[in-house]
Amino acid sequence: MNKVETKKGSVQEKGLEKETLLDIQNLKTYYPVKGGFLKRTVAHVKAVDDLSFQIKKGETLGLVGESGCGKSTTGRTILRLLKPTEGKILFEGKDITNISGSQLRKARKDFQMVFQDPYASLNPTQSVGDIVSEPLKNFKKMSKNELKEEVLDLLSRVGLPPEAYHKYGHEFSGGQRQRIGIARALALKPKLIIADEPVSALDVSVQSQVLNLLKELQGEFDLTYLFIAHDLSVVKHMSDRIGVMYLGNLVEIATNESLYAEPLHPYTQALISAIPETDPSKRKNRIVLQGDVPSPQNPPSGCPFHTRCPMAKEECSKIKPALKEVKPGHHVACILY
Amino acid sequence: MVNVTTNAVKQQEKPINMSPFAIARRKFLRNKLAMVSSFFLLAVVIVSVLAPYITTQDITKVNIGSMSLEPGGEHVLGTDKSGRDVFTRLLYGGRISLLVGVTCTFLVILFGTVVGSIAGFYGGFVDGLLMRFTDFVLNFPFLVFVIVLNTILFGLVNGLWVLIGVISLLSWGGVARIVRSKILAEKENEYILAAISIGCKPSKVIVKHLLPNVLSTIIVQATVTFATLIVAESALGFLGFGVPQSIPSWGNMLSASQEADVLRDKPWIWMPPAIILTITILSINFIGEGLKDAFNPKSNR
Ligand SMILES: Nc1ncnc2c1ncn2[C@@H]1O[C@H](COP(=O)(O)OP(=O)(O)O)[C@@H](O)[C@H]1O
Ligand code: SF4
Ligand SMILES: [Mg+2]
Repeated sequence: MNKVETKKGSVQEKGLEKETLLDIQNLKTYYPVKGGFLKRTVAHVKAVDDLSFQIKKGETLGLVGESGCGKSTTGRTILRLLKPTEGKILFEGKDITNISGSQLRKARKDFQMVFQDPYASLNPTQSVGDIVSEPLKNFKKMSKNELKEEVLDLLSRVGLPPEAYHKYGHEFSGGQRQRIGIARALALKPKLIIADEPVSALDVSVQSQVLNLLKELQGEFDLTYLFIAHDLSVVKHMSDRIGVMYLGNLVEIATNESLYAEPLHPYTQALISAIPETDPSKRKNRIVLQGDVPSPQNPPSGCPFHTRCPMAKEECSKIKPALKEVKPGHHVACILY
Repeated sequence: MVNVTTNAVKQQEKPINMSPFAIARRKFLRNKLAMVSSFFLLAVVIVSVLAPYITTQDITKVNIGSMSLEPGGEHVLGTDKSGRDVFTRLLYGGRISLLVGVTCTFLVILFGTVVGSIAGFYGGFVDGLLMRFTDFVLNFPFLVFVIVLNTILFGLVNGLWVLIGVISLLSWGGVARIVRSKILAEKENEYILAAISIGCKPSKVIVKHLLPNVLSTIIVQATVTFATLIVAESALGFLGFGVPQSIPSWGNMLSASQEADVLRDKPWIWMPPAIILTITILSINFIGEGLKDAFNPKSNR
């Protein structure tokens, strides 16, 4: 992982003046739980429960949290692959929360996804050429030659040889397959790419290659990223700002530096203390959380973290703390602040 | 970063540049039983189709002078109780039995796939409605309906097409259910989300992404359906409710064995359709097994 170059900083400084690309307001996505012999909805899995954040043009927002906290659901809802239960999704100021049909299909050109599973995310009956050219065919009228040229260009941009064109997904390694998925996402020159744990299924040795590729492409194609990971160490090298999720809620969001220098939420503190530190002088005491993550079907009252929080007070189970700006650009949802 | 090792296992050694279908085809071609069965079936089809060029005997004309003749001489397989040449009727019967089988299978797979894939892809209300309808069709008393309809429409419409229509309309339920459950499982894969996010219309997602990936199931279902429907046609023919007697089919040729003296003393009348029917059904089933095996990524033959 240490091979990943650190962010040059240029985007971050400009980031503040840049306009907002994506604005998420009080987003909720609940999955219905069917039960009984009539298959009625008996409960809801509150996978995403009241999420608000913005992403500026050219920025990378990292989203971290344990497996099952609702990261994929968040990404899929923003891309309108799932229907939000409540809230608003504004993309370039346009409300895309409730659009559908051909209107939604047209809008999809501007936001794409890189998926977590390099195996399940490529159609096994399509060749690489088919996979990467399909988005172009859906949106553009191009001759066969133009199409092939464009696809070969995309393949070379993601570091795949032209021979890949006629091959099938199963002939590639996980890392290469992820490159194919990246080429597909890039084909339409989108403005936003949501990368849902793009390297977590990959061999450690190829993780940094794929991460570096994503970074290079960001400069080349002027991309904005929502970068999802369950692991802070991956996000650290990729992001300008980081949001920490717990049980469908955003508990802290801050710039990269601010979050690492001074994590405020007890959950973030625990996550950071769990990052393996190679330099012994910097080693901190690891905060080990007690108990399991509660079920999102029946989340705790008040602060969602109170059942495991080492600092929990009595009122924590009663009041749900809202996200509050404690320092410039550093928001946290905890009654301690 | 935990689940790294599991993925390495999925990487199997496979020939270069081959689509999953090319791989399946190669496996099928190496399966001896399935290949022999395919050749047999092909031979039956060719001989049936070319029947008018192979034999010039009349299939319907009753010939009192040559009733129940034993095999030999002019009549290779003898004649039936009405003096009609069994060999000729066998060839023409094959045409009808195969025609009914192929047409019904085509319609059944078409209905079943359309209903199953739409229900599976959209889920929710659409799924509920279509599956309720499927259950209704599945619970329909097949035999009773065929018999009643055939009786009502007898003489009004060509009996053969009534039979094909009725069998098809009542038999697609099972295929619809199987296709639906396959689609339900397949659509969980991220490549379906990817297809939606690159702007594919629902129809394109179903036709280009879902169906090719459940095609192996559909093909195997088609062979099973084909065998089942040929048997169904024969059973109806045997009971006297199938294709009208004026048109020979393997099923109504078999019904001659209902008479005790034919069954006991004149085996040449009913044995040929029985044998050819049995071997045909077996071949279709072997082909089906071979296809199932060929499409199974875990088998390496
Ligand atoms: N299709 C679904 N139906 C019902 N529950 C789901 C579905 N997908 C995810 N969930 C549940 O929603 C929660 C969040 O899932 P997910 O967004 O995949 O989390 P993450 O990506 O952070 O691991 C989990 O509890 C998961 O079990
Ligand atoms: S609000 Fe209370 S329970 Fe929640 S994180 Fe803060 S201290 Fe812990
Ligand atoms: Mg996930």
